[in-house]
Amino acid sequence: MPDEELRIGVFVCECGRNIAGTVDVETVRRYAESLPGVVTSQVNRYTCSDPGQAQIRKAIAEHKLNRVVIAACSPSLHQPTFRACLRQAGLNQYLLEMANIREQVAWVHMREPDAATYKAQETVKMAVARARYLRPEQEMEVPVTKAALVIGGGIAGIQAALDLADAGHKVYLVEKEPSIGGKMAMLDKTFPTMDCSI
Amino acid sequence: MMDAGRHPNIELMTYTEIENITGYVGNFHVTVRRKARFVDESECTACGDCVPVCPVIRPNEFEMGLSTRRAIYIPFPQAVPAAYLINIDECLGDVPIACGKCLEACDKKCIDFDMKDRIERFEVGAIIVATGLDVFDPTGLDEYGYTRYPNVITSLEFERLISAGGPTEGHFIRPSDRKQPKRIGFIQCVGSRTEISPDGPNPDGSRGHPYCSNICCMNTVKDSLLLKDHYPDTEITVFYMDIRAFGKGFEDLYRSSKEKGVRYVRGLPGKIREDPTTHNLLVTVENTTAGRLETHELDMVVLSVGFVPPEDGHIKKLLTLSNTSDGFLLEAHPKLRPVDAPAKGVFFAGCVESPKDIKDSVTQASAAAARAQRLLNKDRVSVEAITAWVDHDLCTACGICVKVCPYGAITADPKQKIKAVVTEASCAGCGACAAECPQDAIVMRNFTDLQIMAQVEAALAENPEEKTLVFACNWCSYAGADLAGVSRLQYPANTRVVRTMCSGRVDEDFVWRAFELGAAMVLVSGCHFGDCHYMTANHHTQKRVDKMWDRMERWGIRPERLQLEWISAAEGQKFARVMREIEEMRRQVTREEIEETKAIIAKRWRKRRK
Amino acid sequence: MATAGAGKQARFKCLRCGYEYTDVYAPDRERTCPKCRSNSVRRLRK
Repeated sequence: MPDEELRIGVFVCECGRNIAGTVDVETVRRYAESLPGVVTSQVNRYTCSDPGQAQIRKAIAEHKLNRVVIAACSPSLHQPTFRACLRQAGLNQYLLEMANIREQVAWVHMREPDAATYKAQETVKMAVARARYLRPEQEMEVPVTKAALVIGGGIAGIQAALDLADAGHKVYLVEKEPSIGGKMAMLDKTFPTMDCSI
Repeated sequence: MMDAGRHPNIELMTYTEIENITGYVGNFHVTVRRKARFVDESECTACGDCVPVCPVIRPNEFEMGLSTRRAIYIPFPQAVPAAYLINIDECLGDVPIACGKCLEACDKKCIDFDMKDRIERFEVGAIIVATGLDVFDPTGLDEYGYTRYPNVITSLEFERLISAGGPTEGHFIRPSDRKQPKRIGFIQCVGSRTEISPDGPNPDGSRGHPYCSNICCMNTVKDSLLLKDHYPDTEITVFYMDIRAFGKGFEDLYRSSKEKGVRYVRGLPGKIREDPTTHNLLVTVENTTAGRLETHELDMVVLSVGFVPPEDGHIKKLLTLSNTSDGFLLEAHPKLRPVDAPAKGVFFAGCVESPKDIKDSVTQASAAAARAQRLLNKDRVSVEAITAWVDHDLCTACGICVKVCPYGAITADPKQKIKAVVTEASCAGCGACAAECPQDAIVMRNFTDLQIMAQVEAALAENPEEKTLVFACNWCSYAGADLAGVSRLQYPANTRVVRTMCSGRVDEDFVWRAFELGAAMVLVSGCHFGDCHYMTANHHTQKRVDKMWDRMERWGIRPERLQLEWISAAEGQKFARVMREIEEMRRQVTREEIEETKAIIAKRWRKRRK
Repeated sequence: MATAGAGKQARFKCLRCGYEYTDVYAPDRERTCPKCRSNSVRRLRK
């Protein structure tokens, strides 16, 4: 266990009716409040919105939170959003944990609201349990090679290569055929302008 | 095209194959094979003196085989680079007794038969995949008689026949008698919007694919206008299901086509027959607007063929890219990150992501370039802190982690007792090493044993015998579970999901702990082989689960209670189905069996852990 | 990494539907039950 006192904040998102239409978010909020280490548990209408994020930042300051659990959508969608929110509030972004109660609860158990609410509670419990062991992490920075590879010299590859090259970047445009042009070069006239393809 | 050829910042590498790509965002190492052209690209002036002397005649691919080229050729007159090349497999060779005529014909001496393939290496920070598409081959649709009837052609062949730069110099003639056709039919949706079912008439997709190919409606509208422009008295009939003219300015073109007298008949022909003497075509169709069966006699039929995804398994594998179910590349998010690949620093442009017209391809290419610039304009990029580190108090220098790391990111020497060290910049964070380490000496940042164990314990604290614990990898199976949600596919609510970056991270200890706590079923799920975002890390998953099954049998636990599935990010359906099937199995697990398992694990596993 | 038995025939059992079959053992190939399409296919030893 970490040395400092755990101060976990839980934020349960309604996502309009997307979550709240199936899951009883107030039950989830109250349940979260009872979990060890949780000092505040709040409901947002849309946690990812500006007011939702402001509410998180305010709670971090007010309750001196050192872990944040957000019960909302999949981390693949808004984990970057909420990591930025933590950074803005002066918390290390790795002290965030998301509980996916939309894609993996509300949307897949729409005909069983009670079972969905129970699963949402337990998903929050799992996230809080994990959050206890989260540690601040420092990201390693690596240098960026200022060049791009474009694979394929059809219309899309040519356009992408030109845009990057015009912006001052070195571009390697690799085409397996002996000429660039791709399928487009075979067309006579092209819609909607009815002009020549080459 | 010309601009790309002469831009000072673009190094154009044509006739070049990608051999290998390694590295990570900001730091990709690329190896390419520049195939020998046997004609010096920078010296050749494209004078064409070499061509008439070449005795080898081959179908011209660019002209869809409607004309011929020689073994030394330029792909098409406006080719970039404007340089000839020799197809060495067709060429007779430079030995004077065999041929070597082009060597004599070339005044500038640009031809070099000793030229070899060159391997070149370079470094890039970002990669844009724009490998395009292939065109559907309608030969499998027997009822349309393509290749059997000379006057049935594809829309791409039509392009070459009507093009002023094409084989007929723009004189539009039909193949059977080289006369100008007066009555032309277009058949839409050839190879598109077709059902594929394993038991149906189209099990392998040789008769077409389920998706709409996006461009064929407007391409036909355009073709009809071209014909009406060049030959106003041509009678044109278009056979269609729906005309999808949804883009800017598209409806105007469609209306203009109808105003010029093009007939649009709603209904796809069931069969084309040919009059063997005239080679005219008899097209039978149910006109669904008029509600009658019609037969149209036509001089030529154009099959408006759809798109198929390119066969680029090699590049997909190198960049760990996946497909959606239609075979096109899977984007990081269908709405919010449509040009990003799931792998960082890789972007998509054009039809490789989905069929699209030129305007959309250009739009997406500019978007991909802008996304790439966001990265290239930075001096440094941060790498997610999910990498491994080794606790040297616990490491015994056994070297197992070195063997399982797909990236060669760990060094250790068991003989000299040099403990394991992780090169952080090379570590991608799969966690296969941490799962395999017998000493639990490897810590995965943000996915530590403690963190994952805490989730397992929380999930199974209440009513464990009613639950299935699922380990899902971030990139594929967790994303597949998300897709099940996005698609609103319903499955039993007694599943609890633990996310790891890779299925290779799933330590035996996690599974034994779950059974010790009384879990009825455990599922380990990851990416399909070849799709794993950590190259071959999921091969270790399979091996480990095999080992666990053997162990379960030896210990007296039914191996069936541990399940394994490969579920891609596009397989929401599969995730939901697997969860339903496992629920059926869970119902068979009795409380007595669970109690027995708990006792066995307590004895066997706890003892093993000292 | 060399794996014992690679390339040889082995017995497999599907732990979803119970189907047993013989196939070549290839550690770098995905296993799929020919009957029910599950990947929970166990390689049986002896």
